[in-house]
Amino acid sequence: MCAGVYVAAELVWPTIDFGQPWLSFGRLRTLHTNVVVFGFGVPALMATGFYSVQRTSHVPLFMPRLAWFVCYAWQAAILLGGLSLLAGVNASKEYAELEWPFDIAITVVWLSFAVVFFGTIATRKVKQIYISNWFYGGLIIVIAMLHVVNSAALPVTLTKSYSLYPGAQDAIVQWWYGHNAVGFLLTGGFLGMLYYFLPKQADRPIWSYRLSIIAFWAFTYSYIWAGPHHLHYNAVPEWVQSLGMVMSLILLAPSWATMINGIMTVSGAWEKLRSDPAMKFIVLSLAFYGLATFEGPMMAIRSVNVVSHFTDWTIGHVHSGALGWNALITFGTFYFLVPRLVGAELYSRRLANVHFWLALAGIMLYLLAMWAAGVSQGLLWLSLDELGELRFGFRDIMASMAPYYVLRFLAGVIFLAGAALMAINLWLTMSGRATRKVRPPAPVGTA
Amino acid sequence: MTTTRFSPLLISRLLTQPSRVFADLAGTRPNAAEVFFKLAIWLGCLPPLFAYIGASHFGWHLGAGTPLIVPKPVLAGISFAYFLTLLFGFVTTALVSQWMAATYGARLSLGIHMALITIVGAPLAIGSIMHLYPHVFLNVLVLVPTLIWSMYLLYRGLPVVLRIDPQRGMLMASALVAYLLVAAVSLLGLTAMLWIHGIGPRVGY
Repeated sequence: MCAGVYVAAELVWPTIDFGQPWLSFGRLRTLHTNVVVFGFGVPALMATGFYSVQRTSHVPLFMPRLAWFVCYAWQAAILLGGLSLLAGVNASKEYAELEWPFDIAITVVWLSFAVVFFGTIATRKVKQIYISNWFYGGLIIVIAMLHVVNSAALPVTLTKSYSLYPGAQDAIVQWWYGHNAVGFLLTGGFLGMLYYFLPKQADRPIWSYRLSIIAFWAFTYSYIWAGPHHLHYNAVPEWVQSLGMVMSLILLAPSWATMINGIMTVSGAWEKLRSDPAMKFIVLSLAFYGLATFEGPMMAIRSVNVVSHFTDWTIGHVHSGALGWNALITFGTFYFLVPRLVGAELYSRRLANVHFWLALAGIMLYLLAMWAAGVSQGLLWLSLDELGELRFGFRDIMASMAPYYVLRFLAGVIFLAGAALMAINLWLTMSGRATRKVRPPAPVGTA
Repeated sequence: MTTTRFSPLLISRLLTQPSRVFADLAGTRPNAAEVFFKLAIWLGCLPPLFAYIGASHFGWHLGAGTPLIVPKPVLAGISFAYFLTLLFGFVTTALVSQWMAATYGARLSLGIHMALITIVGAPLAIGSIMHLYPHVFLNVLVLVPTLIWSMYLLYRGLPVVLRIDPQRGMLMASALVAYLLVAAVSLLGLTAMLWIHGIGPRVGY
């Protein structure tokens, strides 16, 4: 997040890279996206996946030493990968910038993650596989497939490789990967988190279990086709673009089925808001999940995309999902989980409440600034003069965006300040306390 | 509890005494038509009126180059469409709020929901005075804090006016925020589509 705020500042004051290549926008922006998605998002999913699969399967983790390997090896890979991005080593594929040695390391760790997770499910003591495990399982399988296919490359040196796919095919594979990484990691994976932690926090079962199963299969089937909407008006066949657009629109149904399921679950547990500061974050995350999963299909419509593509509207959309959905649900889960892990009360509910309002203000400011900037950009890019030539140059348009970028920078600072408060709050909750060791619950009927 | 009629003067105290305003509103049983015709429709007139006056005098400043000048008849059409959209948005939001009320155990009369939405939306209608100088960034600068104020009013006022627990109010307000965010982004998408199909400013497609 710090890197994100810094690159937001660089868009306003470009000289703050001080002539250092590692501080340049191109490298820091890549570090920001990789570390937020793979350094923050994935460890949150691994941790919550390992936590919940034991409780829903009523057995301890399969091969616990391998789980520790996953924990340390993943973080080491992302740390070193982040440093390689700062050094300028880059595979030139968005959200898949790490070069081939890291791709291999990630594959090994991910397969270990799969062994622990599916091994635990295979040895479960209850017949049913709970819905959160379907989403976590989908995350593990699909991300493995996407990563291996998209990273297929010919290495020429230790730090340079070339994609196996030529031209437009490379773009199609890249966005098949790129959009489904968003789908199965940032959406599906976090839905796994939602389906376990929301009922736990609400202390009641999910509103409609049947709806959650239908939503899972509909989501899994329709998401995988949606990638080509990133390539509208590009050198890929028109039917591929149309397919991406239509499947993106269909995707709205399973996405909102989950949102409705979540809202109805939480609406019957309003008393919990009195005592549990985490609930607010989950409730708000559902609102932004609804927004992001509506806005995405809408932006996939070609006549909207022609205005929104290559503008800050897209950046706003990504952040409504990343900040409003992924970050808020993770914060809520942290506030739920950390006190339980150490067997203590949260250090300060007041700080958590301040964090909530800072997060909401930061997200709203970010979204509105980017919506206004994006729509203005879209109109300006498309404006023609009497001769049919572009009315405005790229430089003029970008220069006019500086005020919006100041607002976006402020929004980032506000959101980051809230996250820092959470870190302090959780640190003070944990400090001086050892992690509680608990056994998974006994299977029903055997206690 | 004493029951008073809905007074449009409530909005005059919104900035200084929001708690009193909501407490007073909670004691009323407003009629939907009364709220609509006494206050909502007039507040709904303000943004399109300001936008028409501003855009016809100064054009829309998108930030780069010369302002975008739209012919007055087209501008009048867009402003009227803006007015209808606002009224449609207002009525549907009140209906959605009324529909949600059953889930959250809140008051069910349409009038009270209309009054709540009117009061919460009033700062935005008044803040639209910035449309008199239609510079996109200046409008963002004024309307973003106004919107945050409106959201604060929604979270604070909803449980009082609809007479439910603050916790249930928080849930219902969040559900309404979700609906409003989706409505806002739908409007953005719909507008972009209209531009691309030749309605509104001339863009090269």
